[in-house]
Amino acid sequence: MAASDAEPTPEIVTEAIVVVDLVESTLTSNLFGWYAVGRHSLRDLRSLVGEVGRIRGLRCMRSTGDGYLLTFYDPQSAEMAAIRAVEAVFELLRRIFVRNREVSEERALNLRCAVHLGEVDVVPNDREGPHISMAFRLEEISRASLPAALNPIPPEQFPLQNYVLCSEEVAGILSRRATHWELASIGLLKLKGFPGWREVFLVLPEAGDAKLAPALVNTMK
Amino acid sequence: MQAAVPVGKSSALVFCDMAGTMRLFAQEGDLVASTVLREFVEHTGRLGREHHCLMIKFIFDSFLAAFDNINDVMPFVISIQNLLSTNPTFVGRVSGFHLSLHYGNVVFVETSYGSEVLGEAVNIVALLNEVARHLAQPYEIVVSQAALERMPGDFQARAGASESHQFKRVGNVEFRRVNLLGS
Repeated sequence: MAASDAEPTPEIVTEAIVVVDLVESTLTSNLFGWYAVGRHSLRDLRSLVGEVGRIRGLRCMRSTGDGYLLTFYDPQSAEMAAIRAVEAVFELLRRIFVRNREVSEERALNLRCAVHLGEVDVVPNDREGPHISMAFRLEEISRASLPAALNPIPPEQFPLQNYVLCSEEVAGILSRRATHWELASIGLLKLKGFPGWREVFLVLPEAGDAKLAPALVNTMK
Repeated sequence: MQAAVPVGKSSALVFCDMAGTMRLFAQEGDLVASTVLREFVEHTGRLGREHHCLMIKFIFDSFLAAFDNINDVMPFVISIQNLLSTNPTFVGRVSGFHLSLHYGNVVFVETSYGSEVLGEAVNIVALLNEVARHLAQPYEIVVSQAALERMPGDFQARAGASESHQFKRVGNVEFRRVNLLGS
């Protein structure tokens, strides 16, 4: 009997999956020290994620070492979970911009974010399944990925930090239900372990955000 | 340095994807698989030049090639297909190629990493390659109706029945499967 046979079958739910990754966190920790800077950055991020996620259906928050895997759930509508997740990510970025103005340069937080929606296995304090892998693949996309894409944007136009990428599934939901966010295709990409071509989108903040956080809009446009 | 001006033109686009690459890496190891991929790039690149290919973009185990003259495409595709039986590195290792062809407007640009071809036609030929993966026999190429209408008559005669597929954000695309072996 396999070890997994003894375990109860995990609950399967459709959740919005967010991967948030701290840009150059390892480098920063090595340069300025884990106890002096690194742990505070991660704690601050955890605290901010909790604040923005709690009221938007955040159900799972798991450390990935230099970031977090988050999932959002909406009991009424799976699609709304995706919208809440994108809202939470932009609110997180706004708060981080405010925070970055108040802290020393080495303690600044900069993020890469990716949002996907799909069925996941609910395991204690964690999530499993191919859609989780898909969200991580999206987060791994960088300028270096674009020469291997079809119809790519010029690599120089891909932001280095503080941006939100989303899958076709999430882009479809946003274009139908939340038109205040602009979507820009970055190209069709092959994602490791997944067959076929996937169109990946950059989610651009709503125009009104320019007043709240000009840096955010400037970085992403 | 001044960037080259993008050039828009109607072109024939071929997409070729090597079948079973992941299995090759898993079963034969990365050294053998890398050798196969290197041979794939060298030989398809050479055949592209021989058949007047405008540009060829390699993406791991696949490539996108653009042609000015659609009459050059099928001889190119058949020569690629012949590699399966003539190239000793491929024989017994590569089970086939998924092939698709489309004709449409594209823009050729010079980028920081080399030549690039852009346009919805690129998406269509890549999406048709997914159709080829699921529907086509190893000796078939999936050809869009737009490309088929411009192909030489002898290849048109090899086309199967009209089929279509609805692609997200692109819409309905009509295509046929064309036999590369003849009648």
